[in-house]
Amino acid sequence: MNYPIWQLGFPGGLLIATVAVLHVFVSHFAVGGGAYLVLTERKAYRNNDRELLNYARAHAKFFALLTLVFGAVTGVGIWFSIGLVSPDATSTLIHTFVWGWAMEWVFFFVEITAALVYAYQWDRLDRASHQAVGWIYFVAAWASLAIINGIVTFMLTPGRWLETRNFWDGFFNPTYFPSLAIRTAMAVALAGMFGLVSTLQLRGGIRERVARWSGAWVVVGIVFLPLFGLWYYRAFPGFARRYLAGGISAAGTAVNLAIAAAALALVVTALAALWKPRALNGAVVALVLLSGLATLGSGEYLRELVRKPWVIGGYLYANGIRADALKQISATGVSADSRWLAAKPAADSLAYGREIFVLECSACHSVGGYRALRARVRGWDEHFAYQALPHLQLMRGTMPPFAGNETDRAALAKYLASLNPATVSISPANQVAAGREVFEIHCAACHTVRGAFRPLNLAAMKAGAIDRLLKILPALNPNMPPFTGSEAERRALARFLETGQPTS
Amino acid sequence: MQHLPIASPDPIPLPGPVWLLRTLLLLTFFLHLVAMDLALGGSLLAVFYRLRRKSEFARQTARDLAAKLPVMMAYTITLGVAALLFVQVLYGNFLYASSILIGIPWASVIVLLILAYYGFYYAAMHDEAGAGVRVVGALAALLLLAIAFIYVNNMTLMLTPGRWIALYRRHVSGWNLNLGERALIPRYLHMLTAAIALCGLFVVLSGIRQRTTQFGQWLIRQGAAWFAGATVVNYGFGLWLLLSLPARIRALVLGANGVATVLFGAALFLSLAAVVHALMLRAGRRPVANASVCVATALAAVALMVVIRDYVRNGYLPPGYQFGQLRVVSQTSIIVLFFVLFAAGLATVYYMLSKVAAARPAGDPASARQQKA
Repeated sequence: MNYPIWQLGFPGGLLIATVAVLHVFVSHFAVGGGAYLVLTERKAYRNNDRELLNYARAHAKFFALLTLVFGAVTGVGIWFSIGLVSPDATSTLIHTFVWGWAMEWVFFFVEITAALVYAYQWDRLDRASHQAVGWIYFVAAWASLAIINGIVTFMLTPGRWLETRNFWDGFFNPTYFPSLAIRTAMAVALAGMFGLVSTLQLRGGIRERVARWSGAWVVVGIVFLPLFGLWYYRAFPGFARRYLAGGISAAGTAVNLAIAAAALALVVTALAALWKPRALNGAVVALVLLSGLATLGSGEYLRELVRKPWVIGGYLYANGIRADALKQISATGVSADSRWLAAKPAADSLAYGREIFVLECSACHSVGGYRALRARVRGWDEHFAYQALPHLQLMRGTMPPFAGNETDRAALAKYLASLNPATVSISPANQVAAGREVFEIHCAACHTVRGAFRPLNLAAMKAGAIDRLLKILPALNPNMPPFTGSEAERRALARFLETGQPTS
Repeated sequence: MQHLPIASPDPIPLPGPVWLLRTLLLLTFFLHLVAMDLALGGSLLAVFYRLRRKSEFARQTARDLAAKLPVMMAYTITLGVAALLFVQVLYGNFLYASSILIGIPWASVIVLLILAYYGFYYAAMHDEAGAGVRVVGALAALLLLAIAFIYVNNMTLMLTPGRWIALYRRHVSGWNLNLGERALIPRYLHMLTAAIALCGLFVVLSGIRQRTTQFGQWLIRQGAAWFAGATVVNYGFGLWLLLSLPARIRALVLGANGVATVLFGAALFLSLAAVVHALMLRAGRRPVANASVCVATALAAVALMVVIRDYVRNGYLPPGYQFGQLRVVSQTSIIVLFFVLFAAGLATVYYMLSKVAAARPAGDPASARQQKA
């Protein structure tokens, strides 16, 4: 809350994700492509293959043009976007890892020089020196990946750093090695995928030779992914594994998409590059590239998703509030901590409530667009919202706890209730359907009926008995807020629960 | 003071001594600045020489600059990343806030940079004679001018927290610039003119390498004129910048701070020495000696200006935010590791460049082309 919030109308995380996925796509190519280029060059010299050498030379130019410009500048773009969207997290990372980044910068500097020399001084250097420069490039590029990997994985699993605050404890954290293995395999696959792009320029037998050679890189890279993926998954923190086990449907979707996209890339490459390279054309290569992007993109999306409610596990919540600051904010209120509020703190101020929303919710939620709050608070009234706020962290496990005092809580409740008021119309004829609606409004944030997440199954009970339980929810479990709907809504809800119809 | 919306220092201590972080910031910023000056100045000079189509020398100069701009851009960005890293660790609680306030222009820097960079590659890879190169080259130069302007906005805004709340109230989406800043325009012009001056020295140096040819002589005269002319104009912009600073900060370099004042005087003296040597170059006397002195004094003046800029920056900081109060827990072993890697990195770069230099065929390609012409 130290910083102003950049209010774009959508969660800034989307901007980071877009920049990051594009960067990662090209920068992993930049790593694997280095090894691909030198090995292609070496192969050409060994087989005295002029055509292959010419291909390598042309591919090096394409490689430089894509990685030195788009790859490097989008990397700076990540710096810019994380500073704009998550300044608190960026500051934490900088203070912890500035020397790590400084080392990464050394490799980056070597990498840029080596890439320029490799691509543009090809004819001046003798064979051995030129290949040596190529290897220097690859080693520097992979080393910079290995350093950034330490910082990226730290955010998901800071490990012993939380107690020791030691650089190496944070760096070599539980997901460091599996993530490095996945990224290296992806770099190999992407080297082959972009190799296929340059293959399209070729005609005749050389085209088939290069297609087979590039295709092999794709296959070798992808084949390792399931194994490394499993290793990675096993290093996840417990809460993240629960998301994948059904806690958040988007997590499952991301995993499925990653698997499907990788499988598609594998099959298409095997068929159109290895088996029948004559079949290779622009559309096929585009499909392989898109599959690669989808594999990588869903992997990165997943990593960010399962990290919730944290941006730095156990230390900093996704909304930029430090775990150790919660108590103080609850005591003094948000206004004592934030220097940027326009509205005066007042329990009945809608404007102030909106400011609390901006501070605490807008990092992940928009009002009506991406992860829309309007859909999530449908039918909420002030009383219900007020009761729900202290339990945010229990909903699906992805939300940080509410931070603030009574005034903040009441104001935010007022704002949330204003977003999408709805009344359930109940008649004797539609009790069950109306009850389902009441369930969606009052219960579904934390429960399903016979679904994957915190399932309820009250089908064995009569509606009357359920109704009696609904009156005393906090007594059943102190984490449950009281039922705040009308009597008619409560009865309809009981009728719905009695049927045992499933929800998701 | 406590009414200023400045973020509290990060609860995680600084991972290295302030003097070391500051030294690295100033060093990498100086290197970034030189590369940036060559890229920005080079892009403008290339546009200028493309307009003088009748002169073969001018066309050749535009071609040579165009061929080097992608490399200059690569190092501007690479060295800028290091400066960005160190400025964040020392001034993050100022820089993050000001960046957010001008979020839209600030984020657009990335897009503008990619477009400009590809523009320079396009110009380097296409025939200078075509209209395409003239248009693309001019657009790319304009994009760099825009980026520089956005940077000057942020670098001034980060130092004036008193202005932040009003800007935030105006546009929470970051559709702001720091146009209310008195020092904005003079500072921009000062940086821009210095870029043209330094690139003039780059032209001089390319002339020195082929000084026995007519073209080489021409380059030396042209470059010296750019340097001397731009620097003299820049005394005016510099004075304007000085006058637009708040009196308290202006006083720092005019006597209130002994070190800053001496450095400022030394920088002025060095720049004057550089101008005198540039004029001697232009007269055609002892090119190698005069060019060496001119480049050395000019670079020394730039380096001193970087230090003076740091004094000015710290002069803006409110009293509660002096570095002495920050907690430091040095990650000593990692700092040592960084310096070892840094030395190894420099050695590797030296190895690669020496290979290229050793393989260079006799006669510079530019002079070879020149002889053909």
